[in-house]
Amino acid sequence: MTGKIVSIHSFRGGTGKSNAASNLAAQVALTGRRVGVVDTDIQSPGIHVLFGLDEQKMGKTLNDFLHGKAAIREVGYPVGQNTGGGEGRDKLAGKELYLFPSSIKGREISQILKDGVDFNRLNEGLQTAISEFNLDYLFIDTHPGLNEETLLSIATSDILIIILRPDNQDFQGTSVTVDIARSLDVPNLFLAVNKALPKHMNRPEFNKEIERLFNAAVISVMPLSFDMAENASQDLFSLRFPDHEWSKALKDIVPYILNAK
Amino acid sequence: MADILKKIRETSFFKELSDDASSAVAARALARRFRPGDAVMRKGDPADSFFVVLDGHLKIVTTDAKGDEIIINKVGPGESVGEIALMDELPRSAGVVALDDVDALELTKDAFFDLLDDRLDVSLGILRGLSHRLRFSTKYIETAIDWSQKTAEGDYSFLEQTQPLSAAAASDDAKAAQLLSAFFSMARKVKEREDGLKQELERLTFEIDQERRKKEFDQITGTEFYAKLKEQAQELRRKRASG
Ligand SMILES: Nc1ncnc2c1ncn2[C@@H]1O[C@H](COP(=O)(O)OP(=O)(O)OP(=O)(O)O)[C@@H](O)[C@H]1O
Ligand SMILES: [Mg+2]
Repeated sequence: MTGKIVSIHSFRGGTGKSNAASNLAAQVALTGRRVGVVDTDIQSPGIHVLFGLDEQKMGKTLNDFLHGKAAIREVGYPVGQNTGGGEGRDKLAGKELYLFPSSIKGREISQILKDGVDFNRLNEGLQTAISEFNLDYLFIDTHPGLNEETLLSIATSDILIIILRPDNQDFQGTSVTVDIARSLDVPNLFLAVNKALPKHMNRPEFNKEIERLFNAAVISVMPLSFDMAENASQDLFSLRFPDHEWSKALKDIVPYILNAK
Repeated sequence: MADILKKIRETSFFKELSDDASSAVAARALARRFRPGDAVMRKGDPADSFFVVLDGHLKIVTTDAKGDEIIINKVGPGESVGEIALMDELPRSAGVVALDDVDALELTKDAFFDLLDDRLDVSLGILRGLSHRLRFSTKYIETAIDWSQKTAEGDYSFLEQTQPLSAAAASDDAKAAQLLSAFFSMARKVKEREDGLKQELERLTFEIDQERRKKEFDQITGTEFYAKLKEQAQELRRKRASG
């Protein structure tokens, strides 16, 4: 039985992908599963911040692998062995959670954008990460929109979670993303709303309306929260504040991941 | 006897009467007793007397289009039925039935008008009582009109500014207060429904331009890159499914 690829995507930027992906990965790791997180947002990587990985600590990256300069084995950063410093993250101590970061060096970013990402190479990387780290779940944090790397991530995922804000601007692009995911035969497609206003919370009609628009299941409605904004991606919010409304809504997603076929 | 006098003075119709005038009324009235279900008045009957309830309750009933009974109102101790019909001489507009054991005083039309002829103090007392009720009714009607106008204009501020049913409502304006209270809760329900509809409208503003959706989809899926990607993805899923 091979591990599953879970892509977290949104059509627009700043929707909360990186926060959702990192917190979901952490929640799944807390259940004892072996989890990986790949940052395929090579244009504007960010998820490493949530795991407390900074430029100095960052060793080999996904860019090195894509350019044939490193093996996937060298890229995986064991988060569970590097805790201490963040109150929420400390709960991951001893857990099997590996981060595969993208380079944050400008030169390397422009290089990879120039060369493009090869589907087979990226895919080989993902499959190798799963087999060498014996992963149950590999989360992919993507770049917003529908550029080539994102299409690659969608094409290879077993589970795709599309994050959207309750905003008409998001809806148009999200609808195209849903159509693409269907066309690429993604087996498990879910919608999660983030930055929802109080009027959207606990309103079954609201969820129904979103489901009507996209013909896909809404599995979580996460509130817009000052506490989340205040956290400013410094820490894994759902670990630090497990009983917060946002954390509870995020955790609604977990069973859908664990039960997906 | 003293008991009956006290009860007469407690009715809204006779409450402005002096002791002496109340005795005059008591002397002319017939004590009546009804069993539960007894008809006190029938709809369409000539209005030839009126009743003041001393004990027990009456229901005022009419029938709807299907012939089913509708209870318009209930009347209890201190309240009277049929007094207005006596004065405007129209037939009974509704039936009256005893709900439980009822003690009442009946004043026939003749006895009532004799009383008005003979006793200026009784006439004045009754006029005073009626004026008092009229003044209350007018005040409540004015309030109801004001509230309906505001409701029609969508101004529900009075719901916050008003105490619906003042506990101090005197017995003779309790009905009017009830009407206002009913009006008040109606306005509140109207407002709630309106707020619900507003939310509903807000929710329904989510719309997707389907034509644009299709165009953008075609743009992405029409490329050579996409065709190849789709092929590779299919291949990948086949491989994973088989092992
Ligand atoms: N529910 C929320 N309430 C308030 N702020 C939030 C919420 N979710 C995320 N944020 C904030 O929004 C910003 C964007 O979040 P995040 O980086 O997770 O989004 P993203 O989709 O990964 O963005 P990008 O497209 O730039 O990669 C961050 O500052 C984060 O703290
Ligand atoms: Mg991000």
